[in-house]
Amino acid sequence: MPADLLATNNSSPRVIAYGPEATMIDGLHAGEAAVVRTAILHTCTEQHVSINDVVAGARSVVVTHPRDNAEVVRALLGSIDISGNGGISPVAAPSVTLAVDYSGPDLDYVAQQCGLTSQEVVTLHSGARYVVEFCGFSPGFAYLTGLPAVLHLPRRATPRPRVPRGAVAIAAQYSAVYPRESPGGWHLLGVTDHELWNMARDEPATLTPGTIVSFEQIT
Amino acid sequence: MTLIVERAGLTTVQDYGRPGWAHLGVPHSGAVDRGSFLLANRLAGNERSAAMLETSGGLSLRAAAVVTVVITGADTDASINDQPLAHCKATLVRPGDTIRINRLLDGMRCYVAFTGGVRGLAQLNSLSHDSLSEIVPMPLTVGGEITLGATDRLATGLDVPIVPRRSPRLSLHPGPHLSLLTSEQRQGLVTQQWITAQDSNRIGIRLTSDALRRNKFPELLSLPLVRGAVQLTPGGELVVMLADHPTTGGYPVVGVLASDDVDDLAQRPTGTPVVLGW
Repeated sequence: MPADLLATNNSSPRVIAYGPEATMIDGLHAGEAAVVRTAILHTCTEQHVSINDVVAGARSVVVTHPRDNAEVVRALLGSIDISGNGGISPVAAPSVTLAVDYSGPDLDYVAQQCGLTSQEVVTLHSGARYVVEFCGFSPGFAYLTGLPAVLHLPRRATPRPRVPRGAVAIAAQYSAVYPRESPGGWHLLGVTDHELWNMARDEPATLTPGTIVSFEQIT
Repeated sequence: MTLIVERAGLTTVQDYGRPGWAHLGVPHSGAVDRGSFLLANRLAGNERSAAMLETSGGLSLRAAAVVTVVITGADTDASINDQPLAHCKATLVRPGDTIRINRLLDGMRCYVAFTGGVRGLAQLNSLSHDSLSEIVPMPLTVGGEITLGATDRLATGLDVPIVPRRSPRLSLHPGPHLSLLTSEQRQGLVTQQWITAQDSNRIGIRLTSDALRRNKFPELLSLPLVRGAVQLTPGGELVVMLADHPTTGGYPVVGVLASDDVDDLAQRPTGTPVVLGW
């Protein structure tokens, strides 16, 4: 397996063992993981295959399952049609618009690094349409693809010990919103009041894999 | 059916965890040593995933009713009213009696189960204390009460206690990024002796050695992590994912330990040698 399979898009999907109790599909293209995850959930339910969890990564999906079920799950994952919605009828993806106060501490720094004015950064960030590729880092923290390429910057050299809840941030090819106060190394553009994580709700996360997201500047 | 917390020590409430939420970034959590946890519930006559206490010592509880207790996992100097409390044996505790798990003698985690199981208000269908996300449905506070479920099931015991297994060699299953290692590095992974490091916790256990000190890999995109996944850090340490592990990570995963071997490793105190093998 050449190393570039793992980090680039020039690859085709493959199914591999991830220890005795998990199986992984990797080599997916950007934006495919959430769709493949849904296809796997559908297929396993339809065929009554017992699994524990289906989790999306940036270019991969991992299924955890009982040890005895490894062969069945591996065969099933191999049979899933990854091109064209994974063989399931497309369901309307949920969409959400988050109102943002673009007064983040890194707005000017980002503008300077990208050779733009602060208002141009705001216009670009709020003008794009994003999709949740996967969640991770902390409950309800979603990695949003769709950030305009001109805003791609490496994360801060030194993470902040405290990023406020609701902070709207960017790093590399992603945008995100911090669901709760936590440490963080992303560039902070602004803040939203929207409650992104609440365990008392039936669906605790606002931003689930596949959700379409836009940001709107509060004026 | 209650107990009063006199001292909480290093104790959390744990059940079998919070499956089904990892796609939202919520760790599985639950008991770190699953084998000892399941054994405690079996002996206590409970459902397999009933909640109990996971402690590293300093725990003192006063019974406010007749309860049945079973302890498994790490060897401890446990007592009831200063009489030794046997491992892997159902023991009746009377109102006013004090159960103490003072100090661990060997191992890292002792499981304290009660017939009927610990009851409380679950969060995301689980009572487990998740140290990474700070999801804590049942914090233990001095003077606080622990409520148990009512049951008519019988508890039992073993003639010879089962203590955590310590295998001379933990078997490594190939991880998705194993092929990033040179054959020399792969060799080092399984021939060098690793040592459990101090800053290990419910999230992960760190292993140090000089074997892979010099490693240089391309930056990876985040991929989902599983319990037992063995990550290689840029500093050449291994981090083995335990119950509260983050759901995704960006370091190469060079191997995966099977469930029993995760239990074994998680009971090894700081400074214990570890040998890995294929």
